[in-house]
Amino acid sequence: MSAQTYLALALAFYAVGALHVLLHALTRRQLLTSWTVAASLAGFVLHTAGLSQRWTEAGHFPAIGLHDGASFLAWAIVLAFLMVYVRTREEVLGLAVYPAVFLLVLVANLAAPATNRPEPILRSLFLPFHTTLAFFGYALLFVAAAMSVLYLIKERELKRRSPHAFYYLGPSLERCDTISAGSASIGFGFLTLAILTGVLFNHAVHGRYWSWDAKGWSALLAWGIYVALLVARYRTGWGGRRAALAGIAGFAAVVVTFVSITLSAR
Amino acid sequence: MIVVVGVSHRTAPLDVREALAFPKEDLPGILKRLREELHAEEVMILSTCNRVELYGRVTEPAAVEEASQRFAASRGRTREELAGALYHLTGDEAVRHAFRVAASLDSMVIGEPQILGQVKEAYHIAEGAGTLGSMLNALRNRSLASAKRARTETGIGHNAVSVSYVAVELARKIFGEMKDRKVLLVGAGKMSELAAKHLVRQGALATVLGGRRFARAEELAAALGGRAMPFESLRDELARADIAISGTGAPGVVIHREDVVAACQARHRRPLFLIDIAVPRDVDSSVRDLEGVFLYDLDDLKAVADANLRERRKQAAAAEALVEREVREFLDWQRSLDVVPLLQEVRRRAEEIRKGELEKARHRLGPLTPEQEAALEAATTAMVNKLLHPSMVQIKEVSKNGHAPEHIGLIRKLLGL
Repeated sequence: MSAQTYLALALAFYAVGALHVLLHALTRRQLLTSWTVAASLAGFVLHTAGLSQRWTEAGHFPAIGLHDGASFLAWAIVLAFLMVYVRTREEVLGLAVYPAVFLLVLVANLAAPATNRPEPILRSLFLPFHTTLAFFGYALLFVAAAMSVLYLIKERELKRRSPHAFYYLGPSLERCDTISAGSASIGFGFLTLAILTGVLFNHAVHGRYWSWDAKGWSALLAWGIYVALLVARYRTGWGGRRAALAGIAGFAAVVVTFVSITLSAR
Repeated sequence: MIVVVGVSHRTAPLDVREALAFPKEDLPGILKRLREELHAEEVMILSTCNRVELYGRVTEPAAVEEASQRFAASRGRTREELAGALYHLTGDEAVRHAFRVAASLDSMVIGEPQILGQVKEAYHIAEGAGTLGSMLNALRNRSLASAKRARTETGIGHNAVSVSYVAVELARKIFGEMKDRKVLLVGAGKMSELAAKHLVRQGALATVLGGRRFARAEELAAALGGRAMPFESLRDELARADIAISGTGAPGVVIHREDVVAACQARHRRPLFLIDIAVPRDVDSSVRDLEGVFLYDLDDLKAVADANLRERRKQAAAAEALVEREVREFLDWQRSLDVVPLLQEVRRRAEEIRKGELEKARHRLGPLTPEQEAALEAATTAMVNKLLHPSMVQIKEVSKNGHAPEHIGLIRKLLGL
């Protein structure tokens, strides 16, 4: 099968998972059933096969351009979600992860794969390392931001004394905060390593360490926000609402970075 | 046939239910008498504050009318007096009712857990009185099992619907685990004590602030396994606490905005859950807009309880479907019982014929070796079984679609029974 076929099949399975989780959220039953998890695992296996096939077809590590970027990011998010889920057993994350993964894979299916360009940048050994680190960082920071959003919604419902849908969904406020902090810390570690390898990568390809473009600025901004957030968290016991807002701001900068990288590579 | 006669919170006001309720110690005697009077095979009475119901197994459908009258008479009422309040159900409807009652789907507060115990006890008393037979016993086993399934597999029992449990539920929504959480009690009222007890049972540590009647605070602290402190240490204790329950009888505000602001500064914006169950209220309601402060008064807790009840009603649909499946299974089983005598008769008749023919054949064959004897026995038995097997299966099938009585007559005719 071609990489495109694999990706289309993966999309079908992810669609089943996303639909399932949204329907279950409406009826407020158990969010993830064995069907949802099975569908996402099947999607993930097909997706992995698709990525490996794509690597062979493209002749370089497939993470450049909208098609490959969206596909690889979705793959990293599924992996990050499965790891966080195994550790925490918090089903509510599925509510953010499944639709996001579905949309990313949909975009990947619609966007044409970048054609082979014989650029040195694609053959560099730094590419797989740098992009893998960066995408795992993005995925974990996405999980952290999703937990922060959940924190804000739940806090709002509790503060207004009006229980709505989210009152009945997901863990306690403190647990949202803890999971968000944990994912942000590990995601930040990946992000830091990604920036370091990016600097070396840049030097190897362009002969200079840092490019002051949108990508460089937003990556630095995101990194700065997370440094401030994590230092405040671990030094002063800072948390809750402001930490959630900072986590979301940091992730917004990450999104800008991702978008500017994918678009600039077109 | 199973019948149910009774009144419940749906049909009768409290004073009628009260008048009809049976004292537990009288039940065995009443059960025995009712069984006599009704010529019923089995009877059971479920008497709670929300329903008084007679469950019975009778042979004659007309016995239901009789049962209604006897039931009313047993509490010194006539059937006419109870018209409108008294309902009677028979057959499938009665079975369905028994299942729904046990699953708490017919309760005033859907999903309330007490009914399961009350139903269990009612069957137990009937069993003790000797008025419980195989049919009601089967109804007991199946309905209680399906009630348990409905509780564990749907959300009908989830979410607190009483004020003190709502307070605990909210604390868990904010903090998660209650282990080693600090609960501060300001004033020692009945309701704050109840809420604090729930929290302490889940691992929280209690501190009781006492005013003029400090001995009372010490007493409560001892009961909760916590400590008592003078009211003057309010700010320090508020800074340490995760949850504060205030329920003093004071006429004015007891916990002022400045107290909470000071506590918040000392606690690095960790969440603080304030529960004000005093009337008039103890806590300055303007603290509500402080970051990390969650203030709930009595009305707020009630509003959450109402929302939870609405949520339970949504879950009830899933529970209804589950219970309905179990009801159908029970009814299928019940119908299959109708054909049991027929099946037995068919078998008996076939065996008679086989034995008779075998006897005749033996006379003609003369003496046989034990091996030949056994072979003949095996061959005839296998022949009979193979011939009967399809019809036996079909008879069992026929019983499931609810037309057993008509079919049984036809089958008997065809088989010459």
